[in-house]
Amino acid sequence: MLRSVVASRTGTVSVAVLVFVALLAVAGPWLAPHDPLLQDPQAILAGASAEHWLGTDNLGRDVASRLLAGSTLSLVAALEAVAVGLVLGVVPALLSVHLGRAVEWLSLRLMEALVTLPFLVFAVAMTALLGNGLQQAMLAVGVLVAPGFYRVTRAAALPVATAQYVEAAVLAGASPWTVLRRHVWPKVVPAVAVSTASLLGASLVIVSSLTFLGIGITPPTPTWGGMLATDLQYLFQRPFGPFVPAVLIVATVWACNGIADALRDAPALSAERKVAAHVG
Amino acid sequence: MAEPLLEVSGLVVRLGRGRERRSILHGVDLTVGAGESVGLIGETGSGKTTLARTVVGLHRAERGTLRVAGTDVTALRGARLRAFRRSGVVQYVFQDPLRSLDPDLTLGDSVGFGITDPGDRVADALLAVGLDPALAARRPGEVSGGQRQRAAIARAMIARPRLLICDEPVSALDAATRVQVLDLLSGLCAEHGIGLLYISHDLGSVAGITDRLVVLHHGDVVETGTTEQVVTAPCHPYTRLLIGSAPTVDGGGMGRAERAELRAQLAHAPNGKVLT
Repeated sequence: MLRSVVASRTGTVSVAVLVFVALLAVAGPWLAPHDPLLQDPQAILAGASAEHWLGTDNLGRDVASRLLAGSTLSLVAALEAVAVGLVLGVVPALLSVHLGRAVEWLSLRLMEALVTLPFLVFAVAMTALLGNGLQQAMLAVGVLVAPGFYRVTRAAALPVATAQYVEAAVLAGASPWTVLRRHVWPKVVPAVAVSTASLLGASLVIVSSLTFLGIGITPPTPTWGGMLATDLQYLFQRPFGPFVPAVLIVATVWACNGIADALRDAPALSAERKVAAHVG
Repeated sequence: MAEPLLEVSGLVVRLGRGRERRSILHGVDLTVGAGESVGLIGETGSGKTTLARTVVGLHRAERGTLRVAGTDVTALRGARLRAFRRSGVVQYVFQDPLRSLDPDLTLGDSVGFGITDPGDRVADALLAVGLDPALAARRPGEVSGGQRQRAAIARAMIARPRLLICDEPVSALDAATRVQVLDLLSGLCAEHGIGLLYISHDLGSVAGITDRLVVLHHGDVVETGTTEQVVTAPCHPYTRLLIGSAPTVDGGGMGRAERAELRAQLAHAPNGKVLT
């Protein structure tokens, strides 16, 4: 699958960007030249310099250090939300296809109900109910992205569940679990991978939006979204302040979408190769 | 007659849900003995495939008895049904191998599916149907239609079945390949003493490999007898219409007026419906 992704130029660039962002997330806190929480009253809203590569924020904290330190939390939060969405979306979708009409009806109504929930109101309500924190906010985001996974997985699994080769497997005495593992899951994975990449980008934006509103990750913990929110308040004093966190967010989302596109096109690419090899 | 391997008696099958639910089979009787080959013929929509799918448990029977090798298949559920299927007593060859073989699995994986210790059995099964064992590494999309259907037959044969149900297995093949596959099927069944229920709307392909014929019309058996008897001296107007409608190379066969007369007779025949 990865080979198919890097076969396209967009896929290659997207993978490179994501590898870079992943490196930032892993090594960022150690690479930070300053303590990201250390305030310097003498250098408030300072411009770029040898000591502060990207300047300082309204409290005199080093922006480069905060960006590097905030990478981990920003990405982990997005990954956590997507993981929750995967579990809450993919599992019911597969069960709805294989466990009969009652489960199908129940899961469809549940997902329809989730789709109707207004995102911000739900996230605020969840954090009000469970307390304001990263886990609670990401649970809310995960619940909200679950219908996306559910629909994609169900759409991919439905035709497979009624395919003749599945009937042939059933006639060979295969259990529902075997059918799911051997026949359904491999057909569902590409669609789920595309959705994961796409919703990972979306979740990063949502995490940033929630941080912007003070939900989930609270100050002074650095995140890309939180820095964007703070820098926007001082746009006149530091016009380029929001630029770097915005670029990181946009680049990561773009890379996720690029990988999603490459994954979506991957089956076609491999089919063309298969035919070419056969003809050759 | 050989000992019955498949016994179908008074089989009633209804399919669909709610208002769409309708009767497909209205009390079908059928037997297939060990080593016997029986052809089930009828036009599209007559219930042939429904009958075959009910025999293997893909559809539920509403009434009637259905015994395969002495086992009441209608009484089996869940783990017991899976165990019966794993025993391989009855195997099914689908019409279109491109749809019945997983496009992502190699032919070897598909043929050996469900076999606990495949070992050389996959290669042997492929050889038995005239395929090069090297094709085991290919996917269905990478071989010809005839090779695919041979692989589908190998998948059925590897389980060492006592009853083989073939649902129009050659309808998607060209004439030359069709003859090869038919010869293969009849040879395998004769060699291993397998009971064969061969389903087709094409009398030409059925007549050559079956001992008996059962004619199904709108969910009812309207005629049954030895293949020679049914083909040479059909009793029911529907059977005569089926035989007369078969295309011939010299353009002979039944004329339009004669077919119209038979259709008129069918309107008054027992269990018969007017053909439109």
